[in-house]
Amino acid sequence: MARAFSAGRKGITGHLEPAERDLLRKLFADIITMLEPATAASEDPLAALIGLDMDVRVPTDPALLRLLPNVVKDDADSALEFRQLTERSLREGKIGALRAASLGLESDKIVLDTEGATLWAKALNDVRLVLAERLDIRDEEDAERVHEVQDWGEADDVESYLSLVYNFVSWLQESLVQAMLVSLQRAK
Amino acid sequence: MSVSTAPEVDREVSASELISPDTPWELIVWNDPVNLMSYVSFVFQSYFGYSEAKAAKLMMQVHTEGKSAVAHGSKEKMEAHAVAMHGFGLWATVQKGGNRG
Repeated sequence: MARAFSAGRKGITGHLEPAERDLLRKLFADIITMLEPATAASEDPLAALIGLDMDVRVPTDPALLRLLPNVVKDDADSALEFRQLTERSLREGKIGALRAASLGLESDKIVLDTEGATLWAKALNDVRLVLAERLDIRDEEDAERVHEVQDWGEADDVESYLSLVYNFVSWLQESLVQAMLVSLQRAK
Repeated sequence: MSVSTAPEVDREVSASELISPDTPWELIVWNDPVNLMSYVSFVFQSYFGYSEAKAAKLMMQVHTEGKSAVAHGSKEKMEAHAVAMHGFGLWATVQKGGNRG
């Protein structure tokens, strides 16, 4: 098991085993693939610059919709209009965080400054949101059901394997966020 | 010296209300069973600059009541906050304020 992240004078440090790094690298790559826009950026340089995308539609994949949610409830037109203005740059921001976290996996010791830690926390969170959607986690009871799967020896189907991966990423994010909260208090 | 008359004051107030761009909008953050309580609290502290106590209070409100209005202000500002929340992976929406508190 990986050592938890901890906050020290040099920033936040963590340690991951090679198998854990391989797993995270694959997860980050999967989410990056999900988030890459289906169409190229607009040929209109101004539209491309501000990330305007008139072809954008509400995602049909519920996991992708969870990553890129509607900004207003019960008003599809307003939500779509806002999506056209913002979705492309939101996708790019998320891909940037996932790439940064992936680059951080090059060595077994991970050292993060405040900005790097935030990118890592965002990347781990997006991985968890997608896994939760695949695991059909809709309420606290579902979350508890998944949380109970702890034994890698029992990973004999896709659901139990995904549950174990989800629990690992949750544990990792919790330990990272606790270290970030310690750093935040020290900085005050 | 004359004392300024009441009607003038009234006119000023109503005029400033009419042109005020600050129709209150609010940013709602919704509960979900995935986001860690510690992470939500961290986002409220680091992004909005809220104190640990205020962040914890809002986080608990999201958790127990299903949602919380975590910021109030102009529509544009609330929309910018919503995009930032989506960047963090929190589910946030923007709506016209009304039932504050």
